[in-house]
Amino acid sequence: MSGMKKRENGKRLGNRRLFSMGLFGASVLFLLLVAVFGYVWQDAASVTDFSRKNLPPCAGYLFGTDWMGRDMFVRTVAGLSMSIRLGLLTAAVSAVIAFLLGLSAAVLGRAVDGLVTLLIDLVMGIPHMLLLILISFACGKGFWGVTLGIALTHWASLARLIRGEVFQLRESPYIRIAGKLGKSRAYLAFHHMAPNLLPQFITGLILMFPHAILHEASITFLGFGLSPEEPAIGIILSESMKYLAMGKWWLALFPGLLLTAVVLMFHYAGQTICRMAAPGSVHE
Amino acid sequence: MRYQKKWRVTAALLAAALAASCVTGCSGGQENAETAGNTEAEGSKGTEGAGTAESGSSQSAETETRDSVVVVMGPTSEPEAGFDPAYGWGAGEHVHEPLIQSTLTVTTPDLKIGYDLAEDVQASEDGLTWQVKIRDDVRFTDGEPLTAEDVAFTYNTLKDTSSVNDFTMLKEAVAVDDTTVEFHMNRPYSIWPYTMAITGIVPEHAYGPDYGQKPIGSGRYILKQWDKGQQVIFEANPDYYGEAPRMKKVTVLFMEEDAAYAAALSGQVDLAYTSAAYSDQTMDGFSLFSCETVDNRGFNLPAVPAGETDENGVPIGNDFTSDVRVRRAINLAIDRQAMIDHVLNGHGTIAYSVCDKMPWYSKDSEAAFDPQEAERLLDEAGWKTGADGIREKDGKKAGFTMLYSAGDSVRQALSEDTANQLAAFGIHVTVEGVGWDTAYDRAQSEPLMWGWGAHTPMELYNIYHTRPGGKYAQYSPYSNGAVDAYMDEALACTDLEASYELWKKAQWDGGTGITQEGDLPWIWLVNIDHLYWVKDGLQVAEQKLHPHGHGWSIINNVDQWTWE
Repeated sequence: MSGMKKRENGKRLGNRRLFSMGLFGASVLFLLLVAVFGYVWQDAASVTDFSRKNLPPCAGYLFGTDWMGRDMFVRTVAGLSMSIRLGLLTAAVSAVIAFLLGLSAAVLGRAVDGLVTLLIDLVMGIPHMLLLILISFACGKGFWGVTLGIALTHWASLARLIRGEVFQLRESPYIRIAGKLGKSRAYLAFHHMAPNLLPQFITGLILMFPHAILHEASITFLGFGLSPEEPAIGIILSESMKYLAMGKWWLALFPGLLLTAVVLMFHYAGQTICRMAAPGSVHE
Repeated sequence: MRYQKKWRVTAALLAAALAASCVTGCSGGQENAETAGNTEAEGSKGTEGAGTAESGSSQSAETETRDSVVVVMGPTSEPEAGFDPAYGWGAGEHVHEPLIQSTLTVTTPDLKIGYDLAEDVQASEDGLTWQVKIRDDVRFTDGEPLTAEDVAFTYNTLKDTSSVNDFTMLKEAVAVDDTTVEFHMNRPYSIWPYTMAITGIVPEHAYGPDYGQKPIGSGRYILKQWDKGQQVIFEANPDYYGEAPRMKKVTVLFMEEDAAYAAALSGQVDLAYTSAAYSDQTMDGFSLFSCETVDNRGFNLPAVPAGETDENGVPIGNDFTSDVRVRRAINLAIDRQAMIDHVLNGHGTIAYSVCDKMPWYSKDSEAAFDPQEAERLLDEAGWKTGADGIREKDGKKAGFTMLYSAGDSVRQALSEDTANQLAAFGIHVTVEGVGWDTAYDRAQSEPLMWGWGAHTPMELYNIYHTRPGGKYAQYSPYSNGAVDAYMDEALACTDLEASYELWKKAQWDGGTGITQEGDLPWIWLVNIDHLYWVKDGLQVAEQKLHPHGHGWSIINNVDQWTWE
């Protein structure tokens, strides 16, 4: 009886693992395709052709064309590709900042911890969008303004999380023993704590992509990011708003859906990795 | 793994925030989104404006008098500093008649000078004194008579405080008696009557820091109510000295383009501004009304080679566009009618100069689309077509970066179309959107898509005349002594009519100038028609050529509008 139940459970688990892996693979493949094709189509995305302006979606132009005859499918994919690449860069930078700060806060003593906590509270205390706008404006807007703005504003919550984990680890017997054995703080941090923090770090990193991408979209939507001729998802969406009243729904709908898809894909990929890296979480 | 849930919540919140910003953006739009505050403010303006449209129309429906009109303008038309001529009301970048105040002169439909308060305008032989006789039967709306003292006070005040207009040529205004005012000038300025046409006369006894909020004038209308960010209500001045206004009440709403369209669509307003992007729409009970303008768009071509910098270290000049043959080729290579059809859905006219159809416009500016000659000129200048279709000379590619003000979709489209058209001639143009904070400096070395057009020849001076004390003209490096001399002479002229000829000669005198055969430091593309949705039955009086700025000009003569 109990054996049968166990087998059923095992079967369900196996399916779930398979499903997770499939979803993970599909997500990564989708994101990779968007990133690569968008990169290749970068020049094509800016091509204007007034002889084909304001076309609704059709076989030739899946997402239709806008008021300057730009192919919205190509433009959307190019915009999302840039978002993904920018997301990769900024999320990586943010995660590294978070990892180092979180670790040093817990390891380097009370004074550093106080400083880092203050920094975290400072960044989290200012409304995110406002800080983002301030930084990117101060850095001269444009691509690097946005990149720096996003990179410098997304580390705080992950840093706080890692700091908490390190505090917990510090009190665990094996770390204390290693400490008593005379190992240095740096040795403890990188040899004993870092491997334990890796799952949190990787999950945090991947789950930061959607944030970074959405924030990139928001800030360009508000007109602080890139020049309007560049293909960026925020620019595409904010331009489409003007044309909604005229019934040109396709300009907003498809790019919006694709953006949502990209964000969801990152989310699923992150969740799957999280489960794989920390199998204990299935019991939660 | 507690944080997983937290991440999800934050992601959802972010998505909601994005969605919310989409909604604000709906009414806020992109134009002028240079600062966050700006966008927010415009957003709220749009929505609130939509709210008041409703109340406005319900009022007019109740009374059914048909002598009131509800007009929609863009949010940037709302005068930030109020209805004070010193701070841009009527004057400045977007000129129009000040409605609340009277002016000494007015511009006539053919853009010559007529009289409002003035009965006679005389310039002295040396051009240094202007004597103006004014009417003696004019009263401000608070009952006080308008005298020459008020006129002198207005000009002396504006000379010191005007933030938008150049009054440096005026030394002093003196009231000789109740109806005579004399302007003593620092230098001759023949087009002074055009300045007089945009300067509203304010009452000396009621002028103060809050004048802009509670203006008192002697014009056709009284400011009845101003709900900032939403609407302005004007009522006809019952004691107006001229013909009584037929439209007794004028309500002006400030809305974004899409909100204005929606307001018209629901029949809540009588006249709403719109743009070419909406011109293929149709609306029951409304028709599209198109006004010809001198609201032109064109770009500068730096006429000197790169290498110099100005006193602030801004680089000046462009090697490609410094060759006059290249500039001429570009002028001939652009099919302006195609551009109008592409970008403006046909709602525009070809522009050959900054002042098309003005009394001071020289017909020599015209240059027809001529692809063969353009090719020939480029060949002659040494730019040979390379393997990739782009012309080359000494290892350099033919081309430049075309700047436009980010957020202006018409200028963006014009820039893109220019790039497309020039690509056919082997000139590679990259288009880049910039903010006004950097645009002026960058235009010293790269072409920028500009918008100009005013009811005064001074614009020719501002664009083409060497900057006083400088080496080149202000907005794009260029200098020609002969052109300067004609304009100086035109300003020194005592006869306004005669000065028109000199302005024309400054453009082309048969040997030199700024036209196709001359130096051609600017290329003009189109005059953009100002478009409006007009409710059936509303008779909009005949319009003068609108200047730059799609705003108040339409109601210059709202007093003559009627309902059928």
